[in-house]
Amino acid sequence: MSKNSNDITMDIQNLQAKIGDKEILKGLNLKLEPGKVHAIMGPNGAGKSTLSKTLVGHYDVELTGGDIIYKGKNINEMEAEERALEGIFLSFQHPVEIPGVNNAYFLRTALNAKLKHQGKEELNAAEFLRAMKSHLADLGMKSDMISRSLNEGFSGGEKKRNEILQMLILEPEVIILDEIDSGLDIDALRAVSEGINKMKDGKRSFLVITHYSRILDYIEPDYIHVLKDGRIIKTAGPELVSELEENGYDSIEED
Amino acid sequence: MKLSNLKNINTQELRSVLDVKGREALLEKFSLLGLPSKKSEEYRYFDVEKLLEPEYKTLNYVPQAIEEGDKIKIVDGIVVTAPKGMRIYYEACEQIDMDHFDPLYYLGHLLSPSTIKIELDGDIHVTIEHHFTQSDALINYRINLYNQANRHSTLYENFVADDIENTLILYGFDLHVAQDSTLRVVKSHTMEDTGYSIVASHRVDVGKQANALFKSFDLGGGQALQLLKVELAEHSHVDASHLLYLNENSKRGTVSQIVHKGEHSTSTQIAKNILDGNARGIFDALIKVEHSAKYTKADQNSKSILLHDKAYMASKPQLEIYIDELEASHGATTGQLDEKQLFYLQSRGISYLEARKILVIAFANTLIEMVKDTRQQERIKASFEEVFYKGHKEYL
Repeated sequence: MSKNSNDITMDIQNLQAKIGDKEILKGLNLKLEPGKVHAIMGPNGAGKSTLSKTLVGHYDVELTGGDIIYKGKNINEMEAEERALEGIFLSFQHPVEIPGVNNAYFLRTALNAKLKHQGKEELNAAEFLRAMKSHLADLGMKSDMISRSLNEGFSGGEKKRNEILQMLILEPEVIILDEIDSGLDIDALRAVSEGINKMKDGKRSFLVITHYSRILDYIEPDYIHVLKDGRIIKTAGPELVSELEENGYDSIEED
Repeated sequence: MKLSNLKNINTQELRSVLDVKGREALLEKFSLLGLPSKKSEEYRYFDVEKLLEPEYKTLNYVPQAIEEGDKIKIVDGIVVTAPKGMRIYYEACEQIDMDHFDPLYYLGHLLSPSTIKIELDGDIHVTIEHHFTQSDALINYRINLYNQANRHSTLYENFVADDIENTLILYGFDLHVAQDSTLRVVKSHTMEDTGYSIVASHRVDVGKQANALFKSFDLGGGQALQLLKVELAEHSHVDASHLLYLNENSKRGTVSQIVHKGEHSTSTQIAKNILDGNARGIFDALIKVEHSAKYTKADQNSKSILLHDKAYMASKPQLEIYIDELEASHGATTGQLDEKQLFYLQSRGISYLEARKILVIAFANTLIEMVKDTRQQERIKASFEEVFYKGHKEYL
């Protein structure tokens, strides 16, 4: 995967990060290409979730070395909200519940923040609801889900659909999906995957973090990266999935 | 008048200083309870002594002709406007609670031999606006309010002040909630950090099968304390909720006693407190269940969020129970804004300031959205946002 810098959306160079006193990412290199789906697979504790948190500027993570270059710009010091406005989106493994915050109000506030950042006109409540209708239908979400408090009392599947709904309306350029398949039944998995596939436009980059290959039957990856002990030890095509299924992570030899 | 002169004096001296005729029982009661100080249980978190020390000018409360208006407007203790047909009189309060815990309840009555009596007819919604115009003054008045049996009335209470300073307001309601009726009181009070201070001492007497809903929204700065005594008869209910959002050097809050006297009486009391800057919030609330109040249900809860490390919340929910046949619970929590929630909002491009605002409003929303009138709700939300931005100037 040797590319010139114009073909790279996000270039992660020698990334080192810790949470608390624990060093987790130990020199991770990864290049996300436009229009490609990158799947990150790895055993528990390898650093998959830390990688996603690091890329979106999570407060838990202390960046101790390396660089994150996004669209040619170093974003190491960029605040989380700026990263989001610039087009980096993380679908959380465990979306937090926020009682008292109306889901529709939250979604419209997020969308309007983005539109304002882009110098576009913000949407009023009626315009927003019209824009939402088709997304809700596509994801098989009931319209009352956006009138409820954000994620409060949502089932695991509803939470994940709500994450995908946010992705659809915010139209990010780098989409990080942290175990989007966990806790989903087959129908929810299909709906969520269709939502993700709908976002494929040949320009967006996807980083799909997963334990299992099941989601990759629905979202076809271009690259499989194996993350182990804080580093990418192998990158290959989709054929690597069956090898991992068969022999596990221990069988993988470093490139 | 210097109220601190009333400290440690006997009934005779008190009668002379206050120029009171008769009213023995009131004088004795005030004398017994004594002028509040920082040692008084009900004023221990509130700097009451500072407010009693200055020499205040006193006002003459001469009733004037009441003009027709869209609300009951009380300027410095005198009613100046009222909606057409509203029955308002000045007369002595006939039903003073002789078991009130607050000495300033009695002082308020002693200083106000004539109270403003308001009778609410039918299913009415009415606004009382308290307007203060005098600096360096002691403004004292009491309102004696009655509703009708089998009726549902709502009272909105708002406050306006001119550019005044060093004034102390002592006011309060004696609310008589008639049998089988509902009285809803929504108090909305936004103050600046300087200007005037208020001690509001209320008594609510809830008749059989009646409902009293008392919702207070105390926002901003300043020094203010509401002291609330509620007595519940058989099958009656009180729903008290208090939202406190303070900034700067404010000291405000609620001291309350809800007394279950009748069987099957129920009470719910919720306090939500948001403290910023150097503010101190007070929620010192007792639910007392007397021997006569079998099958009572009482629930009391206080939740606080501290937005600044110098902010402080004195939260003291208490139960005093004399029977076994009841259901009662109480609790209090204090915390900060949830970092995970804050980050989640920021990760969607919402600024730190807006994310904080969303979470602070979310915390308060359960109480704000209980206000049925959407115009009142919008007013409270607007005041709430004003207080928020004032406390977050550095992020603007």
